[in-house]
Amino acid sequence: MADSTNTVLSARGLSVQYANESPTLSDINMDIAAGEIVGLTGSSGSGKSTLAYALLGLTRRGAQITNGEIYFGRNDLLALSDVELEDIRGRDIALIVQNPRSALHPMYQVGRQISRVYQTHRGSGGAEAHQRAIEMLRLVGINDPERRADAFVHELSGGMAQRVLIALALSTSPKLLIADEPTSGLDVTVQAQFLDTMWETSRKTGTAMVLVTQEPGILANYCDRVIELDAGRVSKDVSASEFVSTSMLHTTQATSSGQGEGQNRAPLLKVEGLRKTFPLRGTKKVVQAVDDMSLSLFAGESVGLVGESGSGKSTVGRCLLKLLDSDAGKITFDGQDLGVVSGEALRRVRQRIQIVQQDPYDSFDPRWTIEKSLLDPLEIHQIVPPTEARAAIEEGLKRVSVDASVLGRRPKDLSAGILQRVAIARALLMKPDFLVLDEPTSMLAPQDRHIILDVLKRLRTELGLSYLLISHDLTSVASACDRVVVMYLGQVVEQGPTTEIFEKPVHPYTKALIGAHLEENPKTRRVDRTDRVDLEGEIPSPIDLPVGCYLATRCPQATEACDKERQVLSSFSSHHDVRCMRAGQLELDKAS
Amino acid sequence: MIWRFTLRRLAVGLVQLSVLIVAVFFLIRLLPADPVSRFVGLNASPEAYALAEQSLGLDLPALEQFEVFLFGDDEEVGLVGGELGTSWVTGSSVNQEIRQYLPVTLELITLSFLIAVGLGVPIGVLGAVNPGGAADKGTLIYGLFAGSQPEFSWGIIFIFVFFVVLGIAPGPLGRLSPLTDPPDFVTGAITIDALLAGRVDIFLEALWYLSLPILTLSFVLSGPIIKMVRENVAQTMNADFMFYGQAAGLPRGILARDALRAAFAPALTLIGILFGFMIGGAVLIESIFSISGLGQYAIRSILAFDYPAIQGVVLTISALTLLIYLAIDVCQALLDPRVSV
Ligand SMILES: Nc1ncnc2c1ncn2[C@@H]1O[C@H](COP(=O)(O)OP(=O)(O)O)[C@@H](O)[C@H]1O
Ligand code: SF4
Ligand SMILES: [Mg+2]
Repeated sequence: MADSTNTVLSARGLSVQYANESPTLSDINMDIAAGEIVGLTGSSGSGKSTLAYALLGLTRRGAQITNGEIYFGRNDLLALSDVELEDIRGRDIALIVQNPRSALHPMYQVGRQISRVYQTHRGSGGAEAHQRAIEMLRLVGINDPERRADAFVHELSGGMAQRVLIALALSTSPKLLIADEPTSGLDVTVQAQFLDTMWETSRKTGTAMVLVTQEPGILANYCDRVIELDAGRVSKDVSASEFVSTSMLHTTQATSSGQGEGQNRAPLLKVEGLRKTFPLRGTKKVVQAVDDMSLSLFAGESVGLVGESGSGKSTVGRCLLKLLDSDAGKITFDGQDLGVVSGEALRRVRQRIQIVQQDPYDSFDPRWTIEKSLLDPLEIHQIVPPTEARAAIEEGLKRVSVDASVLGRRPKDLSAGILQRVAIARALLMKPDFLVLDEPTSMLAPQDRHIILDVLKRLRTELGLSYLLISHDLTSVASACDRVVVMYLGQVVEQGPTTEIFEKPVHPYTKALIGAHLEENPKTRRVDRTDRVDLEGEIPSPIDLPVGCYLATRCPQATEACDKERQVLSSFSSHHDVRCMRAGQLELDKAS
Repeated sequence: MIWRFTLRRLAVGLVQLSVLIVAVFFLIRLLPADPVSRFVGLNASPEAYALAEQSLGLDLPALEQFEVFLFGDDEEVGLVGGELGTSWVTGSSVNQEIRQYLPVTLELITLSFLIAVGLGVPIGVLGAVNPGGAADKGTLIYGLFAGSQPEFSWGIIFIFVFFVVLGIAPGPLGRLSPLTDPPDFVTGAITIDALLAGRVDIFLEALWYLSLPILTLSFVLSGPIIKMVRENVAQTMNADFMFYGQAAGLPRGILARDALRAAFAPALTLIGILFGFMIGGAVLIESIFSISGLGQYAIRSILAFDYPAIQGVVLTISALTLLIYLAIDVCQALLDPRVSV
C-alpha cells in the first residue's frame, strides 16, 4: 500500500507497551496520504491516543515503542536521534491534544507559546514570529488576536484554548496534523465551528490529518477514511462512507409516536414560570440557572430537553424531583402542587418520579452488589412482596436487555453502558409514572448510546412510559422523543413536536444547534451545506446576562431592538412556541 | 495592582499584630506568676515589694498598664513611639536588645538556608529527573538518618563527633573564640561586621565557629527542601504541557526552563514558610552552641517573667513572619500569572 509518492507517513508493525503489561498496541500498519483526513476510532482504551502519540515517536511516561517503523519521507522516525526528532516534531508533524488547557504552559502568554514554536522550527526573528502568532490566531477565528495573544491560558475558555492549540500546531505549516479527540470538552456549536476551521485549513493547505474521535458524526462529516482500533489492533481500515454504512445504526430520523397531546386531558406534569438562581459566594450576584420555564407533559409522552452545557437543563430536572427548591413558579404533578407536598405524600411522589443520572458509577454504592442495590429500594418502598422481589429484579433486568448474571457483581466490574441500563432498570422497578433522564448517554461510547436509546424507545411503546430526556446530544432526542424543548441560558427558546423542530426550526439558536449537529451520514456533510446558521463567539456568563434577547450577542439576525427588548415565549403555530420577536419576519425573509 | 495588594496586606497585618499584642499583653498578666518576687526575692519586706511593684508599673490596673505600654509615661514614649519598653532584668531598652540578638539569629538561619537550598535544590532536581538514581538513593539513606533524631540531638551528635572525637571542629563556644575581640557592632551579623571592619581573619573565624551550628541546621532543613523540590519537579515533568512541549519539538533547554519555572513558585513558598518558622525555631540550636540569638533571649525573658521583653520578642517574630509571607505572595504574583492580587 505504501505508495511512496503520495504517502506522508506510514507505520509498519508498530507496537507499544506500558511497563510490564501486555502490549497496548500490536503490529499496527497504516498509511496516510497527502491531504487526506483519516479518522482514528475505537472504544476508549483501545489505544487511539497511544497510537496518535506513537506516530510522533512519542509515548507517555512508562510506555515504550517496542517494535516497528514509522516512515516519514525517507526517514524511519524510530531510527532517528532525539535531536533529529525534535526537528520533525512540531515542524512537519504537529499534534493537538484533548485537554488544551493543561497542554499549554500556565505561566507564558499564549502568543509567546505559539511564536517560540514557530521560531524554533522556522528560525525566524522574534518580531516576525509574534506576527505569525497573531496571524494564526486570527486564522482560527479568535476575535481581537492582538489582545488574546497576551492572554494566559487560565484566562481562556476551553474552546478558545483549543483554537490556540490548533493555531500553534498549524503555525509551522506541518505536513501532517494529529488531533486526539480535539473537541471532546466542547459544546456542540463550538465543536462544529472548530472542526470546520480544521477541515477548511486542511483543504486549503493540503495538510494531512489524523483525527482521533469516538463520534460517528465527526467521522461521517469530516473524514475521508476511517481506521478502527480494537484492543490495540487495527480492526478496520475503510473509506468513511463504507465505515458508516457498515457499522452505524441509523437513528437520526425524527420520530413522533403521536401519543399524548390530548387537549381535554390534564397534563401529567405541568411547570409554570419556574425560576432558580444560585447565589454567588462572596458577592451579591446570582447565577441565573433557570428563568421563566414552562413545560407540560402528558401521560405517555416523551419530551427532550436540549441545550448546551450551562443552559439550565439539569437544574430543571432537579427541581422537578424536589432535589432543589425553586425560587419561583409552580410544579404540578398529577394534580398535586409539588410546592406544598410533604411527608407521606412527598415520599409517594418521589416513588412515582424517578431519575437516572449522567454517571452511573455515581448512582450505585460501590460496595454493594448489583442485587443489593436493586433489592434495597424495593424493600423500602414495599413495591412487591419480599418473596417476589428476586423475580421482579430479574424481570426488570430483562426489560433493559441485561443478563441476570450481573446481580452478583459490583459496579466497578461492569462497563458504563451496562451499568447505566441497570440504573434504568432500577428506576423502573419503582413503577414510576414519570422518568427524568439527565444526560444518560453522554458518558457512554456511541455503541452503548444506541443501545440505551433503543431500550428507551421500546419502553415507551411497551409500557407507555413518560419521560423527560435531558441531553445536549440532538441525535438522542430526535430518535427518542415526541416533543423537544430547546433551552438557552436558562430560558426555553423554542418548543414543539420533534419533527417540526428538526425539519423547520424557527429560532436562530435552534437553527444553529441543529446546524452544528453532525449527522452520521457522509451524504449530508455539514461542510457541504450552504444554508447554515452559525453563532458567533461563546455562551455569555449566566451571571451578567444580556439585557435584551439573551442570544443578541451571538445571533446573526440580531437587530438593534434585540439588544434592548426582553423576549417572551409566544405561540408560533399550534404546539410550537418561539422566543424571538423576529420569528415571523425570519420566516418571511426566507420565503422571499 | 501589586502596590495596592501590598498596602492592603500590610494594613491587614497591622490589624493582626494589634490583636496579637493585646492578647499577649493580657494573657501573660493572667499567668499565675509573680514577677515582682522574682525581682526582689521571696524574702523581701512588704515595703521593698511594693516599691518594686511600683517601679515595674505592676501596681496599676491592667488597663492602665496597657495604656502606659502603648502611649508611654513620663520616661518612655511607648509602642506608638516605636519603643517596646525597658527590660526588667537588664534595665536596658528592649528595642536595643532585640536589635542586638535578632541579627545573630538571622545570620545563623540565613547561612543555613543558603547551604540547605544550595544542596537541596540540585539534589531534588536530580532525584526527579532520574528517579531511583544516585541522588534518590542518597536522599533515602539521609532521610532514614535525619528523621531518626530531633534537631538538637543532631547538634550534640555533631559536637561529639567533630569536636570531641575527631577534633576537627571548634567547640560550642558561640560565634567567636572567647579570646577574640569582636568587630565593632554595625549590623549585628558578625560575618558582615567583620568584613565591614576589614578583618578577614575574624570573618573566617566566625565562619569556622558557626560551621557546626550551620551544619546541624542545614542538615535538618535539607530534608524537607529536597523532598519538596523533588516532588514539584517530578510533578511538573509529568505535566501535560511538558509532554506537549516535547510533541511540539521544543529543544531540551527550553523544556528544562519551562519545568523549572513551573516548579519554582511552590518551592519558594515552602522555603519562605520554613524560614519564618526558624526565626523562633532555632532556639535549641542556639542554646547548644551558646549563640545568643533571639531564641535564647526569648527563653531567658520567659524564665525571668520579663514581660516587656516577652512582648517585644513576640511582636518582632510575628512582624517578621508577616513580612516574609507578604514577600512570598508578592513574588508569587510576579512569577505566576494565575495568582491574582
Ligand atoms: N499510564 C498508563 N499506564 C498503564 N496503562 C496505560 C496508561 N495509559 C494508558 N494505558 C492503557 O493503554 C490502553 C490504551 O489507552 P489509550 O491509548 O489512552 O486509549 P484511547 O485513547 O483509545 O482511549 C488502555 O488499556 C489504557 O488502560
Ligand atoms: S430576538 Fe433578535 S437576537 Fe434574539 S433570537 Fe430573535 S433575532 Fe436573534
Ligand atoms: Mg484517548
